[in-house]
Amino acid sequence: MFGRMIKGILTRQWKKMLMIGLTIALGASLATAMLSVMLDVGDKINQELKAYGANIIVSPQEASVIEDLYDVEGGDKATKAYLREDELSKVKTIFWAFNIVDYSPFISTSVKLDDGSEVKLTGSWFNHHLELATGETLDSGIRNMRSWWDIEDGDWIDEQGSGAEGECMVGTELAKKLGISVGDSLHVTGNASAADLTVKGIFDAGGDEDEYIFTTLDTAQAIGGLDGKVDTIEVSALTTPDNELSEKAAKDPGSLTIKQYETWYCTAYASAICYQLTEVITDSTAAPVRQVASSEGAILDKTELLMGLIAVLSMVGSALGICNLVTASVMDRSREIGLMKAIGAQNSSIILQVITEILITAAIGGAAGFAAGIGFAQIIGQTVFGSSIALRTMVIPIVIVAVLAITLIGCIPAIRQLLKLSPTEVLHE
Amino acid sequence: MSLLEINNVSKIYGELHALDKVSLKVEKGEWVAIMGPSGSGKSTLMNIIGCMDRPSEGEVLMDGIDIAKMNQKELTLIRRDKIGLVFQQFHLVNYLTAVENVMLSQYYHSIPDEKEALEALDRVGLAGRARHLPSQLSGGEQQRVCVARALINYPEIILADEPTGNLDEANEKIIMDLFHNLHNEGTTLIVVTHDPEVAQTAQRTLFLRDGKLVRETVNENFTGEIKYEDWTENK
Ligand SMILES: Nc1ncnc2c1ncn2[C@@H]1O[C@H](COP(=O)(O)OP(=O)(O)OP(=O)(O)O)[C@@H](O)[C@H]1O
Ligand SMILES: [Mg+2]
Repeated sequence: MFGRMIKGILTRQWKKMLMIGLTIALGASLATAMLSVMLDVGDKINQELKAYGANIIVSPQEASVIEDLYDVEGGDKATKAYLREDELSKVKTIFWAFNIVDYSPFISTSVKLDDGSEVKLTGSWFNHHLELATGETLDSGIRNMRSWWDIEDGDWIDEQGSGAEGECMVGTELAKKLGISVGDSLHVTGNASAADLTVKGIFDAGGDEDEYIFTTLDTAQAIGGLDGKVDTIEVSALTTPDNELSEKAAKDPGSLTIKQYETWYCTAYASAICYQLTEVITDSTAAPVRQVASSEGAILDKTELLMGLIAVLSMVGSALGICNLVTASVMDRSREIGLMKAIGAQNSSIILQVITEILITAAIGGAAGFAAGIGFAQIIGQTVFGSSIALRTMVIPIVIVAVLAITLIGCIPAIRQLLKLSPTEVLHE
Repeated sequence: MSLLEINNVSKIYGELHALDKVSLKVEKGEWVAIMGPSGSGKSTLMNIIGCMDRPSEGEVLMDGIDIAKMNQKELTLIRRDKIGLVFQQFHLVNYLTAVENVMLSQYYHSIPDEKEALEALDRVGLAGRARHLPSQLSGGEQQRVCVARALINYPEIILADEPTGNLDEANEKIIMDLFHNLHNEGTTLIVVTHDPEVAQTAQRTLFLRDGKLVRETVNENFTGEIKYEDWTENK
């Protein structure tokens, strides 16, 4: 009988329940969309940032002076300065370490191939596993920082696998010139030693790097006789957009007052991060390489906050809406409820009925809203970030609990009203 | 022991004494009519007998148990078990079919039994209308569904407040005939009415005025049949 009553109201009075269902659907869809975007947006922006590559480059001081003064490429000159490999881990110890999402060292050397031609061999990290002093771990390297590389054949070098030291990746131009493919062995002779490198992958970088050979840092150092040395460090960091203060500081931190200095140092300006990097890396200079993505770090927090607020507000809004609608519908049905009481219904069975009706409506509305919300999230993802939003499983229980809680809370005033209803007041004129 | 015994019952709304020290007895199987002008307290009395309201003063003994001091929950249980209600407005749940409306009463009472509910509808001549919604039934048919619902749980008393007030004479006759049958089966009937002709069908008529019981007449030639002068024409 209970089932027939529920069925009766849902099939024969669905118009009354429709508004409640729609309110719940709207709330659920907004909450789903906002939560999905909120949970995914951090990754989206990080990915986007990494897709642009590094935004800070650390290089040896003398090299930059020479390059600045004479505008020459640092070759294998005797005077050439290097950074120290043993200081690399310090990058993640600076004040803004948390904002450094990725970094990778580079070392370049010239090698001779069997046919006598000279090519550039670069050693770097691919997915170098870092155990930080804080207990954090990070897989850092060009696999992330060269995410625009198109791997035409083979795969990235896996530093965590075995045999990475004997492997290399070859730029597509060079591979074409040499007529080599994945699995072939390449004999290279450098300043210090020669080695046979197995081609692990062929990449298209769309630039100079298409003519280079990439291998692990250790291998390149060994071949070039550059043990423990690093040319440059590329750093990908989330930064706050520059302003007057940061520009002034970038020219000369010494020109700031103590208070300004503190503000600057404790804000994630690119210049502040650069400054802090030079503090930990001996004889280095660091410079921001591009400004475009720099504001996105700050936008990230604000966007997440905004989405979270919208999610909460949409739920509060639908709670109020449900509250009103359910109360109105109980008032609307006061005659029916009075009648049920008159013919012997206990309060408990009427409350059970009202709650069941609303919960079924909420379940249908919530499910529809959830589906619509995933759709919204994709629309937001496509229009704002140009990519789809991954659905986090976490969103499902959050939305279910929120819909349940809000529906039940929304029913409270109606139930209190319902308990007060007396059959005499309702049934007799 | 009388089935229903009311002693010095008053219902007071502020200054107004809707019922003023009313005492009466109804025996098992009796058919009693209650008459009186509008505002005289008829519905108030019915609500108290029907366990939907409590008196301000006095005692209401049903089967010897005083229900005047019971709480809402206990009253609901008595109402459910002992009383069948028929209202002036044909109160039905509008999203349930005729048979479902009858079953609703069974559901709150014990266990719904569709077969039994259909039999009850058959008794009021609505077997063919069981699957209709109230909106698809005429006023007379709706009131018959109410009667079927009132009698489904074999109540000790059927209380009817102006059961024919909104009906034409043909439907009035059908309802009164149903009451007549119920009376013959031993059901106690208390019927509130404005209509002297309806009141005449009862064994006893109580007259209320300004909340007081002012007169009682006994129908000497009680037949349980309704008598209209122009009855044949209406039929
Ligand atoms: N809840 C209430 N609050 C205040 N006064 C009430 C209430 N219910 C009834 N009354 C008053 O009590 C008196 C008796 O009302 P009741 O409904 O019993 O009259 P009645 O005899 O049924 O009239 P009618 O024939 O018009 O139905 C009326 O004056 C009415 O205004
Ligand atoms: Mg009345």
